[in-house]
Amino acid sequence: MEEVKVALDNETTQFIVVKLGDEQYGIDIKYVDNIVRMQHITRVPKVQEYLKGVINLRGEVIPVMSARLKMGLPADEYTKSTRIIILRLEQHGTIGITVDEVKEVVTLENHQIEKVSYDSKEEKDYFLFGIGKYEDGGLISLLDLNAVVLDKEGV
Amino acid sequence: MDVSQYLEIFLDETKEHLQSLNTEILNLEQDPENSDTINEIFRAAHSLKGMAGTMGYKRMQNLTHDMENVFSEVRNGTIKVKGNMIDILFQCLDALEEYLNTIQETGEEGSNDNEPLIKLLNDVLDSKEGGEPKEVKQEKVKSADEEGGGRKWEEIKFDETQKRVVSEAASQGKNVYGMTVRVQESCILKAARAFLVFKALEELGEVIISKPSVQDIEDERFDLDFSLIFISESSLETVLKSVRSVSEIEDAQGALLEVEQTEGVVVEEETQNAVPEIVPEEKENVPATEKPAAVPPATVKANEKKAPVSKPVVNRTVRVDIEKLDVLMNLVSELIIAKNSLVSASVGDRNNSVNEHIEYLESVTTNLHESVMKVRMVPIESVVNKFPRMIRDLSKKLDKKMELYMSGEETELDRTVVDEIGDPLMHLLRNAADHGLESGEVRKAKGKPSVGSIFLDAYQDGNNVVIEVRDDGAGINIEGVKNKAIEKGVITPEQGENMSDQEIINLLFHAGFSTSEVVSDVSGRGVGLDVVKSKIESLSGEVEVKSKIDMGSTWTIRLPLTLAIIQALMVDVGGEQYAISLGSIQTIEDIVPTDIKTVQNKEVIHLRGLVIPLIRLSEVLDIESKKNPEDNMTVVIVKKGDRQSGLVVDELRGQQEIVIKSLGKYITKCKVISGATILGDGEVALILDTNALF
Repeated sequence: MEEVKVALDNETTQFIVVKLGDEQYGIDIKYVDNIVRMQHITRVPKVQEYLKGVINLRGEVIPVMSARLKMGLPADEYTKSTRIIILRLEQHGTIGITVDEVKEVVTLENHQIEKVSYDSKEEKDYFLFGIGKYEDGGLISLLDLNAVVLDKEGV
Repeated sequence: MDVSQYLEIFLDETKEHLQSLNTEILNLEQDPENSDTINEIFRAAHSLKGMAGTMGYKRMQNLTHDMENVFSEVRNGTIKVKGNMIDILFQCLDALEEYLNTIQETGEEGSNDNEPLIKLLNDVLDSKEGGEPKEVKQEKVKSADEEGGGRKWEEIKFDETQKRVVSEAASQGKNVYGMTVRVQESCILKAARAFLVFKALEELGEVIISKPSVQDIEDERFDLDFSLIFISESSLETVLKSVRSVSEIEDAQGALLEVEQTEGVVVEEETQNAVPEIVPEEKENVPATEKPAAVPPATVKANEKKAPVSKPVVNRTVRVDIEKLDVLMNLVSELIIAKNSLVSASVGDRNNSVNEHIEYLESVTTNLHESVMKVRMVPIESVVNKFPRMIRDLSKKLDKKMELYMSGEETELDRTVVDEIGDPLMHLLRNAADHGLESGEVRKAKGKPSVGSIFLDAYQDGNNVVIEVRDDGAGINIEGVKNKAIEKGVITPEQGENMSDQEIINLLFHAGFSTSEVVSDVSGRGVGLDVVKSKIESLSGEVEVKSKIDMGSTWTIRLPLTLAIIQALMVDVGGEQYAISLGSIQTIEDIVPTDIKTVQNKEVIHLRGLVIPLIRLSEVLDIESKKNPEDNMTVVIVKKGDRQSGLVVDELRGQQEIVIKSLGKYITKCKVISGATILGDGEVALILDTNALF
């Protein structure tokens, strides 16, 4: 029993660390298809506010949403470091989300990830599935991508 | 045995056979004595049984077997074709179709034994005197040419190890057989049959050599027969019997091989050829599937002559995986995008040679596009073929006499459209039969022939395909529709007063509307015509109806030939570019703002005697127009059926061939946009769905 637990704890997950406002968030790398520079987004009328529009990604039309607007943060200000992260999710297909900056890739062992339990989920924490703790004591919030992308009823 | 790889072809073939059975049985009802029809039916039923058997669908096989018995008696002339027998046969076909659907969904045939049907079939069989239901050996004619090919195992060479295996087996008292198995010419899943033969043999002993090789047989690289050397303790009788029990195996011949321990193998009697050496003349019989290097040219020729005969000439189609076509299609799309970027790069640059190249590229891409589209085109035949049967059933059910006349079945449409068009058409036909046509007495009273006529005509009209469903029935009762609409609250009585006849007829497409007084199970629960309409519109088509009292109604479906690449007009609205399909554009007008009138709070313009409502695209698209409101306005007049609207745009950008891309399943809320396209400069432009603006 003990051994199994150790094995699990040593399993690692890689996260891309992005910046949204003042906070850092982690995105599980297995969902990330691509990271592209900010480009012109063609607006699509009559859709949810957080859906910024569509872009051309190598001949495919991909919808792009603003992670900030979706999570209730102030609207994006596009800068040189703004990136579109192209996610490939089973449920929703390919979709891009805009982030302020892409910092680095971190590898976290499972024991460094603290799951957020459901009852403690406040509105703000709705989009998180856990908190990652660095060796040096730093913290990042780990995004629950399905919750981020999901079109909540009434939004 | 894993037959799943054959499942797809099984489904396709079975559908074809069912369809031809349906058609032929209908013919049989008209002309019970026609022996061609009966033979055709028998062949189809027979293949159906064989295929079901191979795939292991026992219930399906049983049912077809009993049907085949009936057909065989009909063919022998011992039973006469009667109305109720035709009905039973049709029920059987329906049951088979049900099996097929279940198989398609679940891979299993389900648990319905259809015993009542089988009993009915057997009753039909019992009704004739003195005949015993037995299978007819239909392939006897061919036995003549079997003589030559029947003993091909004699050509099999043994290598050293195989010789050793054989002599070892012989020393253990086992029998060594040579055997040639011949599958029927009509057999479709040859490899599957062969597999079953091998499986049957492996239960009895061991196959040591096969020719062609097992791999070739699995890949269906053999003609009609294959030969084996086989070791077994069972008798030759048993072995041959178990091979022949595999369906669609025409014959299996074999003989015991005499094994001489030292020298190898010699055939027992009959032929004197020593097995290890092949006499050259005998090579004529080597199947074409053997390695080409080993076959002398003469053999190749002989086989070439034979090959066309062995395949039925009925349907010369190549099945192409749609996904592969999609890939090709996407490549063409890319090419067009590349061309567009060249075009936009060359604007301003007056270099003539570049323009020449672009023109050349343009003609290439257009041709390529056309030919790929042609590959995707299939005749609507596959869909409309089932309608005569349906009308026959309806005629019985509704107790009205009617005939269906079809024309233009060869008209071709994109595969995706053809797949979708069946249900709407079926609905319109049912409507025509149920609501359109009057009963026999009423028709007589009106001085019309007592048999009603329904017409299904398809033809190509420019870039569209038109399918018309026409009946010579009562026509649409306009007052009836109006009253019903008012009663159902679809319109107010005042609105009803002001509506033209055509507008009232169009109410039929309104959701929740059925005019039939009695809801029958044939048509009408009020979910019909609006579904037809939305289905057709989802295919970028349109449907209209015209009707005259006592003359009948005509339903016209208009569908675009292609869906993936269209000609479009590019327009500017508030600095954004949008594409409008050229097919829906009527004219483009320059309008002075003072010409705009207001009717019921809506802006309209007068244009050549027509009042056309204006739609300001900037408002629809939630964007500020960049134009001075006092300047002349550019208005694109678009049509939807008989109606027109004027779309106010900022500027025209010109015509362009665009590749339609989906917005994906994530963006669903936007109804006015039907898709997107990628422009020459790499930007995405949205395609307006003008139908949704009305």
